[in-house]
Amino acid sequence: MIKKFVLPMIGLFLMSTVMQASFKKEDIQVHQLDNGLKIIFYEDHTIPSISYYTFFRVGSRNERPGLTGISHFIEHMMFNGTQKFGPGEFDRLMEFYGGSNNAYTSDDLTAYTDWFPPQALEKMVELEADRMQSLIFDPEVFESERGVVASERRMGVENNNEALLYENVRATAIMAHPYHWDVIGWMSDILSWRREEVIQYYRTYYAPNNAVVVVAGDFDPGKTLELIKKYYSDIPSQTPPSPVSTIEPPQMGRKEVVIKKQAQSPSFQVVYHAPNCRAADFLALSILEKPLIQGESSRLYRRLVRQEQLAISVFGGISETIDPQLFFISVQPRPEADLTKIEKIIDEELNRVVEQGITDQEYQKALNIIRSNFYSSLQTNSGKANQLGSNELLYGSYENLFTMVEQYSQVKREDIPGIAKKYFNELNKTVGKLIPQGGNQ
Amino acid sequence: MTRNLTIISILLLILPLATMASVKLPQPEKFVLDNGLTVYFLQNSELPLVSFRVLIPGAGSAFEPQGFDGLANLTATLLLRGTKTLSAEEIAESLDFMGARFRISDAEEYSTVYGECLSEHLPKLFQIAADCLISPAFKEDEYQKELSRKIDGLKAIKDNPGRALQLYFRKAYFGEHPLGQLSTGTDSSLKKMSLREVKKFFSARYRPDTAIMAVVGDIGREKLLGLLNQSIGQWPKPSSPPLPVTIPPLPAPKGKKLILVDKPDATQSYFALGASGFAVDDKIAAKASLMNTLWGGRFTSWLNTELRIKRGLTYGASSSFQSWKAGGIFMASSYTRNDKISEMLDITFDLLQTAKEKGFSDEEVESGKNYLLGQFPRTLETNASKASAYLRIVYYGLGFDYYDKYLTEISSTRAEELKACAKLLPAKDFVLVVVGKGDDIRTLLSKYGKFQEKKITDPDFGL
Repeated sequence: MIKKFVLPMIGLFLMSTVMQASFKKEDIQVHQLDNGLKIIFYEDHTIPSISYYTFFRVGSRNERPGLTGISHFIEHMMFNGTQKFGPGEFDRLMEFYGGSNNAYTSDDLTAYTDWFPPQALEKMVELEADRMQSLIFDPEVFESERGVVASERRMGVENNNEALLYENVRATAIMAHPYHWDVIGWMSDILSWRREEVIQYYRTYYAPNNAVVVVAGDFDPGKTLELIKKYYSDIPSQTPPSPVSTIEPPQMGRKEVVIKKQAQSPSFQVVYHAPNCRAADFLALSILEKPLIQGESSRLYRRLVRQEQLAISVFGGISETIDPQLFFISVQPRPEADLTKIEKIIDEELNRVVEQGITDQEYQKALNIIRSNFYSSLQTNSGKANQLGSNELLYGSYENLFTMVEQYSQVKREDIPGIAKKYFNELNKTVGKLIPQGGNQ
Repeated sequence: MTRNLTIISILLLILPLATMASVKLPQPEKFVLDNGLTVYFLQNSELPLVSFRVLIPGAGSAFEPQGFDGLANLTATLLLRGTKTLSAEEIAESLDFMGARFRISDAEEYSTVYGECLSEHLPKLFQIAADCLISPAFKEDEYQKELSRKIDGLKAIKDNPGRALQLYFRKAYFGEHPLGQLSTGTDSSLKKMSLREVKKFFSARYRPDTAIMAVVGDIGREKLLGLLNQSIGQWPKPSSPPLPVTIPPLPAPKGKKLILVDKPDATQSYFALGASGFAVDDKIAAKASLMNTLWGGRFTSWLNTELRIKRGLTYGASSSFQSWKAGGIFMASSYTRNDKISEMLDITFDLLQTAKEKGFSDEEVESGKNYLLGQFPRTLETNASKASAYLRIVYYGLGFDYYDKYLTEISSTRAEELKACAKLLPAKDFVLVVVGKGDDIRTLLSKYGKFQEKKITDPDFGL
């Protein structure tokens, strides 16, 4: 229930495929208000509960130096008071009505996720519409929440070696694009955001024409649309924010970043620049990641964990992002493992993919994993709401969800080596090492 | 606070509890296989998925021989590392190929087999599950790999203060009591571990006739019975009587037990405060969970309000009751900058005292009820969560009307009953473990009493 941001490196496997009978494109209703607010409905009365998700097209990619982490900070401030409801009242009212909520910020979007019983619907529509337009950013609360985010950074990055290394690796690999920094932002920025800047940012991005509301579960679409009109119609639209125009220049040689800190165990990561989620090569790489690094039967797990016993675990995959980001490989090495050898083995395995591709068995396996994960994510109202909203924001339309299987089946297994070759090469590679200092003596 | 109470009193008039629709846990069908395995089944064909679970009483960490921490976990893990007919690689390949989720993991009182897959893959997944349970190979090289992975894993745990805290707390609270056995293992337990112990543990503890299985999803009764009889139904029932699965009464802290774990590079201090709780089937469970919801169990709880919302000391603070058959514990925990740890602890102790002295207001109780009732339907939304609920009800002997009764009890609880319930919260008798930077916090902590100190780099998690 804690408001949290999701580290973009975790769990970004793509979950999409053919739709089963009970969740069809025809069952989705879409509306748009005059102020630009887009609304997506999926009605399902299986349990007396509603998932109400609000997505804003804003994440750390919209930030700039000095304001890093501000998208995530506003996510926190969204619970801290409006002209109508004082600080903390959002949560108190929501819980009083039987609801609970969370929120997350990624590189590309910010999502507010509410789960509540049907009779709380009108209050929730009122609360969500209210905080879209009239946050007050009370100065005292502002300072206190700054402390919360600083604590979150200490916990999530500074006291977590893998996250700390990832922050360094991404900042080394990505020079120019705002993906250079992590969603949480740099500590010095966290400690110095100014209130006026935050308000300006909020005004720009928290506009109805920059938002999508997804409602899934036990509600009446007609009545709910009336409620949404009642509470949201008067929110003025804003001038659309300027597009993110920076394009990351091609990398021209291997980069390496080394962190030395007190630890008992090293960390090791390798990243390659990768295409954005709408690019033609994205699907092929998201098929490839499964036999390469996901699961105990994957090539890298077998080599590094099982055969050579250099690692405790491996994980990774391609980031599903609006702008091109990274294909990510993270290894938790054994304490005494030779990191150079780990890198060599990863190279060997990637070269094998580039030269020989993946087997038909591996290709089928990837498609099965995608299908199974996808159905699994649709077991709940919240899973459906999240899929509809993220597809709308990342792929331009929720409809993407209903054609994904076709898109995957169009990826030809024979094309994978050629696509892999474009990305997995020495010039495009960044390596990160966290090397323990002291602590054991 | 008062500003909001006005609003809330108005709300009371327009949100009567009676309007709270809820869900019932559907009654499953029960059958017993020839080998004594009891199966609970519910068909749900909404999605082409099936979830199943098998709970094996006595195969958890509390039943490891003293000092063999991690034995139950090693045993459970090794079951997937090869059988008489399948290698570890073949098992991993088959599971991944289906996109199935399958694992065997150990809790304190039992181990659990978890499976979920597309319905078309269920026959294959049952076969693998049966093979793992019936004829594990327990090969020496697989054992060695897993053992050394665990040994190295301990170091990674100690690099993460939040995770390490939980293990130090377990040892501090339970000592040599079976619930103090750590599933991760410890440096010394893994040193004396042997494959012989694993085999012994498996043959003594894994058996079908005391196990409970739940299957929920897209499959018909007859088809399921056929599949089970050919797979897990073949798991032979041993001729020996089952070993006892009782756990001695839980230790109750007397006075303060204070422990400081020095982690010199920590930029935050993490604390866990624990005291006696109650058993799963205790009559107080529903009311206590309502009380805990208000004190430390949700975002607007007292603890999170004071530590996070009002003061920004932390990203999160929470408390919970953890219960087993033989008893349970209460635990509150959070973390903050090293120099703020005593401010954080002072507030926590104050809140405990206030709850005991003053209890909770009618408005708060109303809010807590609405919250628990309003969130309840989501807790039984998936196949897997229904399967878990069946196992919990059967293992702890709670009865299939357990959740109905629980909800009824929650909705009828009054504020004065919660005040009585707050007696459960710790006052003088507790265990407090802090992991943080010793040099920055030693003096700050000294006002609470004398802390026993340990370095994070010292082996093991006990004293």
